[in-house]
Amino acid sequence: MIFLLTWIPFVAAFLILLTPSEKKSALPIIAKTACLLTFLLTIGFLWRFRPDQPGYQFLIRIEWFPAFGIAYQAGLDGINMTLCLLHALVSLAGVFTAAREKKRLKEYLFFYLILVGAIYGVFTCLDLFFLYLFYETTLIPLYPMIGIWGSKNKEYGAMQLTLFITAGAALALFGILLLYQKTGFGTFDLIRITEHLKNAPFAAHDQNFLAALILIGFGVIASLWPLHSWSPIGYAAAPTSVSMLHAGVLKKMGPYLILRIALACLPAGMAHWSTLLAVLSGIGILYAGYAAISQKDLKFMVGFSSVSHMGYVLLGIAAMTVTSVSGAVLLMFSHGVMAAAMFAVIGFIYEQTHARGVFDFGGLGKKAPFISMSFIMASLASLGLPGFSNFVAELLIFIGSWEKSPVLVGLAVLGVLITAIYLLRAVQHVCYGEFNPKWNQLKDAVTWQEKFPFVLLLGALLLFGFWPQGLLRLIQPAVGAMLP
Amino acid sequence: MNFSLLLPEWIALGTLLILIFREILNGPKSRNSSGIAILLTGTALLLLSLFFLRNSPGSAFGGTFVLDSFAVFFKIFFSLAAFVVLVSSRFFFRPLGGEKTAEFFLILWCALLGMLFLVSANDFLILFIALEIMTLSFYILTAYQKGNLASIEAGVKYLILGSLASAFIIYGIGLLYVVAGSTHFDSIQAAFAAQPGHKLLLLSALLILSGLCFKVAAVPFQLWAPDVYEGAPVPVVAFLSVGSKAAGFALLIRLIFTVFTPFDHERKILFPVLAAMTIIYGNLGAVVQKNIKRLLGFSSIAHTGYLLIGLAAARDSGLAALLYYLLTYALANLAIFFVLSLTANELKSDQIDAFRGLAERSPFLAASLFIALLSLAGVPPLAGFVGKFLILSAAIRDHLMWLALIGILAIPISLYYYLGVIRSMYLEEPVHTASITVPGSAKLILGLLITGILLAGFFQSPVFRIVENALQHF
Repeated sequence: MIFLLTWIPFVAAFLILLTPSEKKSALPIIAKTACLLTFLLTIGFLWRFRPDQPGYQFLIRIEWFPAFGIAYQAGLDGINMTLCLLHALVSLAGVFTAAREKKRLKEYLFFYLILVGAIYGVFTCLDLFFLYLFYETTLIPLYPMIGIWGSKNKEYGAMQLTLFITAGAALALFGILLLYQKTGFGTFDLIRITEHLKNAPFAAHDQNFLAALILIGFGVIASLWPLHSWSPIGYAAAPTSVSMLHAGVLKKMGPYLILRIALACLPAGMAHWSTLLAVLSGIGILYAGYAAISQKDLKFMVGFSSVSHMGYVLLGIAAMTVTSVSGAVLLMFSHGVMAAAMFAVIGFIYEQTHARGVFDFGGLGKKAPFISMSFIMASLASLGLPGFSNFVAELLIFIGSWEKSPVLVGLAVLGVLITAIYLLRAVQHVCYGEFNPKWNQLKDAVTWQEKFPFVLLLGALLLFGFWPQGLLRLIQPAVGAMLP
Repeated sequence: MNFSLLLPEWIALGTLLILIFREILNGPKSRNSSGIAILLTGTALLLLSLFFLRNSPGSAFGGTFVLDSFAVFFKIFFSLAAFVVLVSSRFFFRPLGGEKTAEFFLILWCALLGMLFLVSANDFLILFIALEIMTLSFYILTAYQKGNLASIEAGVKYLILGSLASAFIIYGIGLLYVVAGSTHFDSIQAAFAAQPGHKLLLLSALLILSGLCFKVAAVPFQLWAPDVYEGAPVPVVAFLSVGSKAAGFALLIRLIFTVFTPFDHERKILFPVLAAMTIIYGNLGAVVQKNIKRLLGFSSIAHTGYLLIGLAAARDSGLAALLYYLLTYALANLAIFFVLSLTANELKSDQIDAFRGLAERSPFLAASLFIALLSLAGVPPLAGFVGKFLILSAAIRDHLMWLALIGILAIPISLYYYLGVIRSMYLEEPVHTASITVPGSAKLILGLLITGILLAGFFQSPVFRIVENALQHF
């Protein structure tokens, strides 16, 4: 069953390719159906998921390339179950935005579905070869999607994003191949490799070297400072639904793969670099937060903000305690949903006004109450207000990291303050104050199709804000099993 | 003597004779469509004969001609490549007033005949004759567009440098004969085994390998490639980059792992260095190119570098990876040059700028080029990724970490220049908006090539079995 998550979007993409361009109305229906089906499937998996059962559930294994020990193997534990839920939410919300695209809709939805399917592939596969294959497959749609349908500096943004992530992925591939070679029994099966390395770990210098490759390679997509520069530029250039998916979900592949490969297979190597990783994350939190303050473009601001928030995630991973890593996974979920909502709001306004400056608007609260409300809620979630799951996640990270690095936790709390500065300022300038009559034509979200993405995303944030145990009961046992 | 082993060559020769007599009898009146019909029938018969011969290895002419699974693999490879190139050349020459295409087909077929003999050669004389049949045909093909100065210049350059390489090879063969008293592979191998430290033997091996490195455009014998690629007609470049390169590698594999096995130690020093230099030179050279054919020239040098890793690594993992890589490279390159021969007459320029807005003028051609270029860059789930994956794991398996790292770091660089072409096609506005019509037969062949790229990328196991099967005698 679990392979359906990957293959439903791919099949739908193929169907879209076969649909003649004249039948415009059929295209969004196919795309939405595919995203809805995968969403329902994910909910079904969540329903049948047994948190108390150790190991992976819904496991399937198809021998694929036996000469190299490659098998199509997929399964879920608490960590990737949570991330699949995140992706299901964001991709469903995103497809409603994507379907409003006016230019070359057919190609856009085709690329969108390829992207959605490949991300499911990364989150479900438990074979290093297929993990890497799907990870890199996400690059095929990204370049044209940003380059063709993007805005402001789109060619530069698309090129930088693609090259940064490819360079990182190439290093990670080197690490994966070395790992394959050094384990010495010729399999890419992640479960077997993890188990084997628990009993017979590599020598310290091997672990350090491999962990460094994985950290740098996947740190690029996690926008670890100083490898983050592609991220604000790329998000500002990308069309709304790509920003939503990329900031919301794609970026989480970085920490996820660091957890799965570096933390689970190379704990000593990870411990070796943990101080450096924590320091870099701390710098990232403060630097990106500080940069976000001085942004005049809302998308750039959210872009820097996401770099800053990924700093918390990486800080939590660097501390390597069950509490902090669980917090990091929960923050991956919460930040993903929040960032998607934020980009959806900005995209909604930009679609009508072609403006997205922090100071371009004013008084939207009266003119467009629903959108303003969503923006305010997303901002409050982002700055860690209790009642949203972001708060719980950040708290767990701080508590879990306190013992290891109290100074950095202090700095990270300062980062929360910085987040409050730029977000509250943006809320003030956009939603309150004098209404700018230039935007008299601006319409609020009226139809259910326009409102649905916001309701879905913010609803999820609130639900797990009041009931964090709903996710933590999945995450904590899985993290506990992973940590040494 | 086992004449039936030469059935594919007989068929190729027969087709060639029919073409020649048709040309003599009909003169300039001869119609091209019947010419291509003869060639397509010839290719079909050729493939059919290879299909029947695939399981009956043997040798003929006193062991100077061998037919093993390795030779069969390459003969099928060359025939299919020639078939695609023949079809594409029809589209390329038709708008140029195609009355001269009959000769073109004839010479191209001659090159194919050379390749068929080449991979079966088990004697240095046969090897040299076959190599020269192939290379001489390519000299003429390169300079085929007599009205085009660039084409003639490319032909002359290729002729001068190519003759030098041939001189190297024949000198090496001469030295071998001095020591061994024979040109047969088996007796030379015996001579190597008898006097392993003989300086003349080492020198002759180096000379022959240098000549072959010229054929595959490996640094430091690569200088001709960008110029020739830029000037030669598109279908010729296609056959040069796929057929000639594959022939070079087939020879390198056969020689290194049969006759030159005593130099295994030297191989492990020489080839990693060659591979690294070739990868770096090709990729860095391609970054600044504005002309797509020149860009592909540098890119083909870069791919030679990756293929050379296959020779640098251990035999078991390296050779299979090399053949897999060669297949993926051939699929992508044939697709790219097929698109180029369809667009050449519409765009009237080889500049990357001329491809602006191709996505709107012909979504099909642009999408094919998009997939083929990304496959060359090694983006999964396309074929090129699996090729790179196998080659790099072969290098790591043989503890050539630094070489694997160079190969890996070159991937983002190569993606940069391939994306440059994609940017032109998809992101920029077209100069002319008239759409380009693609004939049905072209769509079919291009579609097959693209499907091949996707299948070889996702279903690695069946393709790998073909490759392993080809190597079973090594």
